[in-house]
Amino acid sequence: MRAYRASSEEALRARNLLKDWTGEGFLTLAQYLRLAQDTVCDLRTTNIFLRLVLFLFTLIIVGAAAALFFVVLSPPSAQVQTIGVILLIFAAIAYAAAEFAVSQARLYRYGIEEALAVCSVGFLCLGLQTAFFSGGPYSTKPDGTEFLVPAAGAIASLWIWRRFGLPYAFPAAMIFVLYLPNHWTSSHSAQHVIVATFYAAGLASVAAVRSRHRFDYLNDGYSLVEALLWLGIYLAINLQLSSLSLLVQWWGGPRAATEFPTWFYWATWVLTWCLPPMVLARGLRRKDRFVIAVGAIAAVLTLVTNKPYLGWQRHSWDPMLLGAVLIGAALLIRRWLAAGQGGTRHGFTAQRLSGKDKHWLSEGSAVLGVVAPQVITPSPQNPDFRFGGGGFSGGGASSDF
Amino acid sequence: MPGYGSAAPRPAKKDFMTILTRLEQWKEQGIISPEQHAHLAGLSRGEPFSLYLELNILLYAGVLAFVAGLGWTVTTWSHQLGDVLVVTILSAILAACFWYCFARAPAWSPAETPSPALIFDYVLYLGSLTWCVELAYLENRFHVLSGQWDLYLLATAGLFFLLAYRFDNRFVLSLALSSLAGWFGLTISHWPSHQDAEYRLYALLYSLIVGAAGALLDRRGLKSHFLGTYLNIAANVLFWALLSGVFETTFAHDETVQSYGVWFVALLAACGASLAWGLARREFVFVAYAAVYGYVGVSFLLVRNLTGATAVLSYFVVTGIAMLVALVLIARRFARTA
Repeated sequence: MRAYRASSEEALRARNLLKDWTGEGFLTLAQYLRLAQDTVCDLRTTNIFLRLVLFLFTLIIVGAAAALFFVVLSPPSAQVQTIGVILLIFAAIAYAAAEFAVSQARLYRYGIEEALAVCSVGFLCLGLQTAFFSGGPYSTKPDGTEFLVPAAGAIASLWIWRRFGLPYAFPAAMIFVLYLPNHWTSSHSAQHVIVATFYAAGLASVAAVRSRHRFDYLNDGYSLVEALLWLGIYLAINLQLSSLSLLVQWWGGPRAATEFPTWFYWATWVLTWCLPPMVLARGLRRKDRFVIAVGAIAAVLTLVTNKPYLGWQRHSWDPMLLGAVLIGAALLIRRWLAAGQGGTRHGFTAQRLSGKDKHWLSEGSAVLGVVAPQVITPSPQNPDFRFGGGGFSGGGASSDF
Repeated sequence: MPGYGSAAPRPAKKDFMTILTRLEQWKEQGIISPEQHAHLAGLSRGEPFSLYLELNILLYAGVLAFVAGLGWTVTTWSHQLGDVLVVTILSAILAACFWYCFARAPAWSPAETPSPALIFDYVLYLGSLTWCVELAYLENRFHVLSGQWDLYLLATAGLFFLLAYRFDNRFVLSLALSSLAGWFGLTISHWPSHQDAEYRLYALLYSLIVGAAGALLDRRGLKSHFLGTYLNIAANVLFWALLSGVFETTFAHDETVQSYGVWFVALLAACGASLAWGLARREFVFVAYAAVYGYVGVSFLLVRNLTGATAVLSYFVVTGIAMLVALVLIARRFARTA
């Protein structure tokens, strides 16, 4: 089912680990050079920036070629259904090209094969919509089969994720699933339950499969997928986040509990408090970085959405309290871990063990240092800004460029 | 861990080996020592499991949330709390942060210096953001700079540069660079007839100053690891300014229409420099900048002279393929040895 040989992907993973360990001084350069000979594989990779640019230009080529086909070859009087069928053919061609790029050129996370695979999913959905539910892509015919378009999108995305291992194909499938229940029921509560059920079913499947891949190259992919599914379930049950109308009213508007049955509303409130510790505990027990992160994110979101849930008034100092809690939690955990033997407790440490952590922090700090203050500090240059007047916007260190 | 024994899982296929199997093999071949094997096998199994990144993210998010709440509270409640209390609280936070940093900082070194503690960088960041809040508050309430916001930004940028270099902090360096950009922009806004062209020229000046300063400091060996931050900011500002020059002068219907050539040539020169730098230093983000910004600028000029959808779409197909081939050749030349 996988487009790449397991041995190739595992060898690539081993080589990346060797690089990381050499960078951290766990291996000497001589050892690395010797060991690298054992991890040679036939996959062709590139760095993230070239990957992104190759992805972009492949999208441009495919999009322009498809449009050119319609402009040059498609007769102006072509039926909408004909256009839809042509789009479906494009989907097949794009997918075949992605397979060819992988099987012949051995491209692996190279941007080109990824863009082709993404285009195949896009063409498939657009083609189905155009061919079978004629009219614009947003038109609907109430014949009960419109769900086939998001269903096909979800299945195709899942296939792309499984076949090529592209991590973003799985969240794409999850997004397609969001559109399914709209075609089945008008009840908002039922829609939330259906989405959460789909994600829970996916979670059960992944949990059953991934234990066999704990130490191989598939573990990271399954870890990410499990984390995304937990996050999806949380977002589906947190009505303050997943309901658009509530999101709009979030800052001070009346809570839209009336949109849902009372029992459902309060059941989801209870679940928003139960789920984060459950996810965190699972992540910590399995030492799963992505699941831990989702548990922490869900915990913060529960704290942030609790007041709107209860209909309580927000205060300007709420973010300060949240910040203090986050800082305090980080310091307590660090101190607790540092007090253990060798700075380790129960298999956890606060010490840096991978060069990747340092790399991410360096890159992140440079980017976030520029972006974040624009949002959070009062603007000195806004002539309308007055302290005490409720104005709050702009950037304390902003640029007019 | 139940179910996660230390033994390597049995390979599913003949040539398939997990990292644990490989480590075992390398130990038996004597390429790595038993101690290295034990350590690396432990790391592969997540034993110990590092929470370093997670703790840093928690601290960062905590500082941001705290300062956001601080600014919001000061903004909303300054009349009720009174100036004295607000300034006292802000000054106390500021003083505590800077006292902590100066008291705990290791001796200054021009090389990269690790933080003495996990929280150190975030205390400095908290202090820097609190400085922004307090200075803005003082200016708005007491007009200490008589509305000269540009002076506020220049002083802030200067302070942040000093702090960034003293404490080796990229968060604060980024704050300094964005404050300096703000100073350039605000200075122009005081001019009686400021226009986009003036902003563009000052954006160019800013990017050249930032790029040159970064290169100079790198040459002097002063925190050379900051060079990437300088160059990335300088490159993006430079490319945006040049692109805006190409766009605007091309659309202009007066005598400036001829001047787009200057901007276009400058854009091509910048792309060439970025490409050369990226390839020489293996900094492929600069190759990406050259490809994307250059393609946008060239396409803009060429496409506007094309008539008909067929010509335009053909242009994108042909040039897209050309770009793809060029990038693949670059990628193959500098391929990661997989």
